[in-house]
Amino acid sequence: MDKLFQKVIIEPFHMFFENILQFLPNFLTSLLILVIGLILGRVLNTIFLRIFRAIGLDKLSERSGVVDLIRKGGIKDSVSVLLARSVRWIIVIIFAIIALRALEIPTIEGLFERFLLYLPNVFVAAIILLFGYLLGNFFGRAALIASVNAGIKIAGVIGKFVKFTVFLLASTMALEQLGIGKETIVIAFAIIFGGVVLALSIAFGLGGQDTARQYIERKIKGGTEEEKKDEISHL
Amino acid sequence: MEKYLIKEEALEKTREIKEADLLVGIPSFNSAHTIGHVVQAVREGLSRYFPDNRSVIVNCDEDSTDGTMDVVKNTAVNSSGAASLSHKGNHVFIIVTPCHGLPIKGNVFRTFFEIANMLNVRACLVVDSDLKSITPEWVELLMKPLLVEGYQYVAPLYYRHKYDGTITKNIIYPLTRSLYGKRIRHPMGKDCGFSGELARFYLSKDIWGTDVAKFGLDIWMTTTALANGFKVCQSFLGTKIRNAKFVNTDLSSMLYQVVGTTFNLMEMYEQVWSTVSGSEEVYTVGSQRAVGMEPVFINLDRMIDKFKLGMKELLKIWEVVLPEETMNFLYRLTYMQGREFYIPDEVWTKIIYSFAIASHRNVFNTEHLIKSLTPLYLAKLASFVRETWESSSSEVEEKIEKLCLVFEKEKEFLIKNWRVERK
Repeated sequence: MDKLFQKVIIEPFHMFFENILQFLPNFLTSLLILVIGLILGRVLNTIFLRIFRAIGLDKLSERSGVVDLIRKGGIKDSVSVLLARSVRWIIVIIFAIIALRALEIPTIEGLFERFLLYLPNVFVAAIILLFGYLLGNFFGRAALIASVNAGIKIAGVIGKFVKFTVFLLASTMALEQLGIGKETIVIAFAIIFGGVVLALSIAFGLGGQDTARQYIERKIKGGTEEEKKDEISHL
Repeated sequence: MEKYLIKEEALEKTREIKEADLLVGIPSFNSAHTIGHVVQAVREGLSRYFPDNRSVIVNCDEDSTDGTMDVVKNTAVNSSGAASLSHKGNHVFIIVTPCHGLPIKGNVFRTFFEIANMLNVRACLVVDSDLKSITPEWVELLMKPLLVEGYQYVAPLYYRHKYDGTITKNIIYPLTRSLYGKRIRHPMGKDCGFSGELARFYLSKDIWGTDVAKFGLDIWMTTTALANGFKVCQSFLGTKIRNAKFVNTDLSSMLYQVVGTTFNLMEMYEQVWSTVSGSEEVYTVGSQRAVGMEPVFINLDRMIDKFKLGMKELLKIWEVVLPEETMNFLYRLTYMQGREFYIPDEVWTKIIYSFAIASHRNVFNTEHLIKSLTPLYLAKLASFVRETWESSSSEVEEKIEKLCLVFEKEKEFLIKNWRVERK
């Protein structure tokens, strides 16, 4: 009875206790790393927030339209706060990964190795998307203002077309960076973009043939009263 | 060894001349048809009105392709019979040089300032190379206040048609006057006189790599003289007629260049203009005549259509820049027809001040911001033309005077909002 008790209860309990003793140093190391990560994250959050505010990042973001984008997404914090918070969480995540590795559990190790290798792609894709958005806004607004000043009735459409084309191009590049559907994305983009251009060409050709004829006739025959320029010297 | 930013050949000639009393700068670009007449008029003016002074005419060229510099060289040879480019005839020397570095206005004027400094001149004047209406009297009118009456900057005053210089009339003159408190009627006049001391002061300023040096030099020279306490006056030169090919037709670029530079200078001289209130007359040489009113063609409907298109498409930009009450007025303006279409001076003043504040706060890219002003300017222009269609030139001047007084009255709005950080 004693032997049975020893084998069924005491030995497994003893082994479990030994395993725990063996695992405990790793667990404590892991916990310590995590705590350091949390503290460091908080410290860097404060430092980076001060740096971003000192260089006037919020003003720059308002100018470039990033603030509009963020507000549309329902976020009310400033760009400085968001970026500083991102720095904090990146630090915490990095330390969490190191902490998990310190536990020396093979399955988790393999999983995180693959995750770590993929992280730079996510980072680059996010940067491409951000730049795509900023450039799209910039060129879209420039095209809109130039079209309005030229008196083109479809100025709004032109502005939006330029903006979305630039953003679409950036999105394609970002997806390619992430390795999602690689060739498929590029081909799809080429088909959509080519299709839009072809559709516009046909639409302009068919819909605007009278206008085009009138324009060419006017150019050849010389300006009519309507086309005559104002005799004003602005400067 | 001192480094000068002028071409070696011009440097040699300047060293040969050693010293001079007067310098006349003629910037040029593809002006072969007109520059000969300008050089002749200047030479004659110098000989007739300042015969006892050593004078230098400097033509600095911005990469002309039509032989402009050859015309100047030939004019110099023909008028004196001498074979040299830099020669002595009635104490008038001529230096002909391409500009150093990029062919931009800033580098051309820097050449004039450098040579003026090297020759230690007492007075300088600059005249455009595309002038058809210049006479020898212009030299006297721009130089005499500097040499005899102790002024340091002489701005030009021209006789102009009521619809000439509409950006100056509706924006630049009222704004500059309310900012710096002096009534300089043509702050962007390209033909002006300045003392040797002021030339050295200009040379000491570090603006040569900026947009001001590219296309805002005229307003910069006037503003710098005003903001730094130099003694300023203006001189009536008569009618200004230029070679038509020089007229720039891209309105939004024009606005960006002149209004952008004025806003830029507001940043530079905030400490000066924020303490000025009201304005005062400046001493004026010569007497003003009324100008004939030839009928001109203006398509008001096209201007109003562009404003309405702007209201439809640029609303998001304007709503950020303009105060609520101004926006409410603009909504109503969209529905106004015929004679009803009118922008009061108070509203226009608020629009310009609000754009200056938005530029200061970097709300948008500056070029986008100022180019988005174009439809509003066209609306103001349409309103101005409707209001003054039957008016004589003196009546138009009265209207501009009223606008200027509103700019001065509303300056408090500018100062108050300029200092408020964006929420």
